[in-house]
Amino acid sequence: MKRRDSYKKAKAILGTIALPIVLITLWQLVTLGGFASTRFLPSPYKVLQTFVTLFSKPAYVHHIAVSLQRVMAGFLIGSVTGIAFGLLMGLSKTVEKIFAPFFHAVRQVPMIGWIPLIIMLFGMNELPRVLIISVAAFYPITLNTFSGVRNVPNEFFELASVNGYKGLKLIRKIIIPAALPSINTGITTGLAMSWSILMVAEIFIQTAFGVGTQIQRGRDRFDIALVIAGIITVGVLGYSMSLLVQKIVKAVERGRAVSTD
Amino acid sequence: MSNNKGTLEIRNLSKSFIVDNSPLQILNNINITFKSGSFVSIVGSSGCGKTTLLRIMLGLENHYDGEALMDGKQIVGPGTNRGIVFQDHRLLPWLTVGENIAFGLDKLKKKEKQLLVDEHLQLVGLNGFESAYPSQLSGGMAQRVAIARALANKPEILLLDEPLGALDALTRMYMQKELERLWQLEKITMIMVTHDVEEAIYLSDKVVIMSSRPGIIKKIIDVSSSRPRDRASSEFMQIKAEILEEFHLGTEHPFAYAI
Repeated sequence: MKRRDSYKKAKAILGTIALPIVLITLWQLVTLGGFASTRFLPSPYKVLQTFVTLFSKPAYVHHIAVSLQRVMAGFLIGSVTGIAFGLLMGLSKTVEKIFAPFFHAVRQVPMIGWIPLIIMLFGMNELPRVLIISVAAFYPITLNTFSGVRNVPNEFFELASVNGYKGLKLIRKIIIPAALPSINTGITTGLAMSWSILMVAEIFIQTAFGVGTQIQRGRDRFDIALVIAGIITVGVLGYSMSLLVQKIVKAVERGRAVSTD
Repeated sequence: MSNNKGTLEIRNLSKSFIVDNSPLQILNNINITFKSGSFVSIVGSSGCGKTTLLRIMLGLENHYDGEALMDGKQIVGPGTNRGIVFQDHRLLPWLTVGENIAFGLDKLKKKEKQLLVDEHLQLVGLNGFESAYPSQLSGGMAQRVAIARALANKPEILLLDEPLGALDALTRMYMQKELERLWQLEKITMIMVTHDVEEAIYLSDKVVIMSSRPGIIKKIIDVSSSRPRDRASSEFMQIKAEILEEFHLGTEHPFAYAI
């Protein structure tokens, strides 16, 4: 049995890394065959070298740390406010009536459309960067929390009513757990949005630190290897963080199921 | 529960819903008393208002004419003296079997709660399933958890809204036996809405036949044969024919079976 399990695991891992290997091989072949100028398409080896140089200096790790911090801060603010706002709108038709039209109208403006205004209001500093990341996370988290609350089956409310569940207890024991899968979808989407807006924040609201600034620097120097290295960094970081959040989310769902005192 | 608790009385009860701006009468002048400790089934075709009647007794429907009295007091909302088992088991998927059973017990201390959960797991024959999740249970098991959850509140009346309707035929017959056993053990009033005439005869002291548009009580049939009942007995067949006759589904020669 054990042997079969480890065989299965190996097969799964192979399946995951097969596509990147094929792509990198193709990329290497294209550059080796001279089908593209190395000025425009550096070889994978060149990008690897760039990575090695980048990571040999503490600066790049610092860039990553700054970006991570930015995303975490924005994402956290967006999650907390999004869940709270989504719950309020979901629970109260009055709150929904007052805020929903405004919310949906504002949501139509692409994040990048806010940047000039935000820069004029707050200047080129850390606050507006974190702010737009949190707004980007806020939208999907609010929407999914709202629909999660609204889609709690009426049958559950009946059951709760028969057992005397009302008010806060109803929210805590029925509405939130029933809406949790939807809230989690919002959180996962919100995290992805945070990462994509991070680049916008770092490139448009200029700063000295962050992976986005490295990509921008690569562009300024026409160093495509650096640009690609930056992109891969963001991809790997974003993917790892989303895996991590999914793990946490699963643990929370299971933990909720186990501990209801 | 021997002091005559668990009596439910319906007096001159009528109820209509508003459909397309005009009232549609669902129940028309219903009068019936459910005696303490009895098992009564309500049968009728779809739309005869039997589920509405059950919801009124449960306290989920509060706008109607007439009276619904529980132990002499007007029913104004759900209360723990009335338990309910729905057709869908309605277990909360994020809670374990044990936590689902304890759902209505959160005012109790942890120890008392655990005691009641253990007792009712035992009662419905699900020892060892306490920490399983509803998704891991079969339909029959899930419905047994739902029954345990309703009984854990120690109700005086258990209302059953087609409780076995979603189960396959064999599980269903087995669960009918289980319900009978639980009723005899708990000695509480049970009121069951069902589509299944045989199920009603097998379990009930009285079978209430309702007809639709507007819902009225057409006939009440006493079933006094000894328990457990034999579905193949002539007496059983005769009662069944009598009930089916009310739905104009009687056979041409009902006594052909008895020969």
